[in-house]
Amino acid sequence: MTLTAAYGLLAHGLIFGAFAALLPLGEFRPRVGLAATTIALIGGIAPALHGVFGPPSPTLLLLALLQLANRTPSPLTWPIARGLLLFAPWFYLPALGAGGFDPYALGYQPWPLLAALAPVAAVLYWKRQTQWLGILAVDLASYAAGIHANLWDALFDPLLLLLAFGLGCRQAYIAFRLRQLTAKTGS
Amino acid sequence: MSNAHAPAACGRSQLLLRLAAVAFVGALAGAFWRIPPAPAPAFAPPAYTPPGTASTPLPAFFASAQLPQAAASAHAATLTTLPDGRLAAAWFAGSREGAADVTIWLSRLDKQGWSKPQALANRESTAGAVFTNIRKLGNPVLFTDGQRVHLWFVSVALGGWAGSSINHMVSDDSGETWSKPTKLVTSPFLNISTLVRTPPLPLADGGYGLPAYHEFVAKHGEWLRLDRDGRVIDKTRMAHPVRSLQPAVVALDEKRALALLRDAGPGPGRIRVATSNDAGLTWETGGAAGEDLPLPNPNASVALLRLASGRLLLAGNGDDGRTHLHLWLSADEGKSWTLARTAESAPDGGAEFSYPALLLGADGRIHLAYTWRRQGIKHASFSEAWLDGGQP
Repeated sequence: MTLTAAYGLLAHGLIFGAFAALLPLGEFRPRVGLAATTIALIGGIAPALHGVFGPPSPTLLLLALLQLANRTPSPLTWPIARGLLLFAPWFYLPALGAGGFDPYALGYQPWPLLAALAPVAAVLYWKRQTQWLGILAVDLASYAAGIHANLWDALFDPLLLLLAFGLGCRQAYIAFRLRQLTAKTGS
Repeated sequence: MSNAHAPAACGRSQLLLRLAAVAFVGALAGAFWRIPPAPAPAFAPPAYTPPGTASTPLPAFFASAQLPQAAASAHAATLTTLPDGRLAAAWFAGSREGAADVTIWLSRLDKQGWSKPQALANRESTAGAVFTNIRKLGNPVLFTDGQRVHLWFVSVALGGWAGSSINHMVSDDSGETWSKPTKLVTSPFLNISTLVRTPPLPLADGGYGLPAYHEFVAKHGEWLRLDRDGRVIDKTRMAHPVRSLQPAVVALDEKRALALLRDAGPGPGRIRVATSNDAGLTWETGGAAGEDLPLPNPNASVALLRLASGRLLLAGNGDDGRTHLHLWLSADEGKSWTLARTAESAPDGGAEFSYPALLLGADGRIHLAYTWRRQGIKHASFSEAWLDGGQP
């Protein structure tokens, strides 16, 4: 088994466990998360996820680990999720064939991308975003270790976008319920 | 109590922030160090000078033979000269194209003729090695570099051919045994939609330029730059206003390359052209005059070869569909072409002579392999003199 495959299988097991830990089960959530991780690893769910999606980004893995460790609130806040969702079409559509420019190709010789991450890290430091600074460090370390051949894959992945989309849906639902509540209170 | 703990918590969070910053700086340095070296590319000169040169041309000859049948349906042959000097062909065959039982097969040509096909990869062996879902296998590409033989082949994880990715295997004993396949990472979304069909060009730095193509959302050629171990270190798109696939590429000198592509657009097609003046770093649409070739292309793969004389040989189907496999010659680096021969044709509706592969042998012979009626693979060998009209 390659390092990338081992990483992918373990990471998908943990991500599946973290999703299970989102269920409203009160104090049992961490235990449910760990049980779901075990089931995913030995029950074929993690290999199936790896088979379809490939190795996930360390960003998603670390968000999952924070969830499993019951470290709330998650650093993936709605403004960050919204930023990801706004960026995604500009990246994925050309990378999947639309137009003559392929932004994914920048991730093979990522000198400009890495240079651009330095000021991003400075802003995170200035804003005291310790968790995001740490996540970015692990992303780069995984690229440096050769787990990902392309830097983009170390930063984000389609499952992370799915999570951001889910967050957006939740946000929209909360806003909808608030409006309903306000309307009822008003009447 | 909480007031007493506040400075300690503040100090801990400051420490964590500094640790994260230090980790980021270290990881950033590691990431810069890890970027694969990619010096300005140049095409490697040919590894040998074939003895059948213009001064001692081979006499006119033509010979052909069917390769042994591996399964009911066969397609997409590729050729290489093994390190031991034997010719080898690989293709995919199964109960039908796209079936789950499709396997990549290899056969070698020796004094007794073509050997019994050897299975190189199937759906199960590939899925087990690369830990991904595999629905079916597709086009193989063989290439020999020194003592190492490379095999790239297409596998589909999701949907149709647009859901493809490329796998890579190597052999260090002339194809007797092979490494487990590894998957090339070429796309950010489930690693889909990169396929191969035509052989790579060796680069001066020991790496390869692998012609590839993309089928999802849009159809266009791509150029993958690989290091000597087959890892992707750069990727360039051959953008073309017309949907085009399967670039067949020859190097004209150290920097210039010509790519001829299958027309995947609607209606009567023409062979599409892309050129590079920087050994594949960038590609421009059209030939020297910025135009595509006047040669027809019925949405079918073509093969391109630089001959010992310096002329270019193009194999492909014409406006009569896949029932005729033609050979064209160009003496002016692909600007103009003349029909030299028709390798095979048949008027019946079931005839299909398609997906040609060309190879220049070490002895100066030209080898052609192609899909024969989807039932098998046919091999033909001939000389430049035969292409010029000489009778065997």
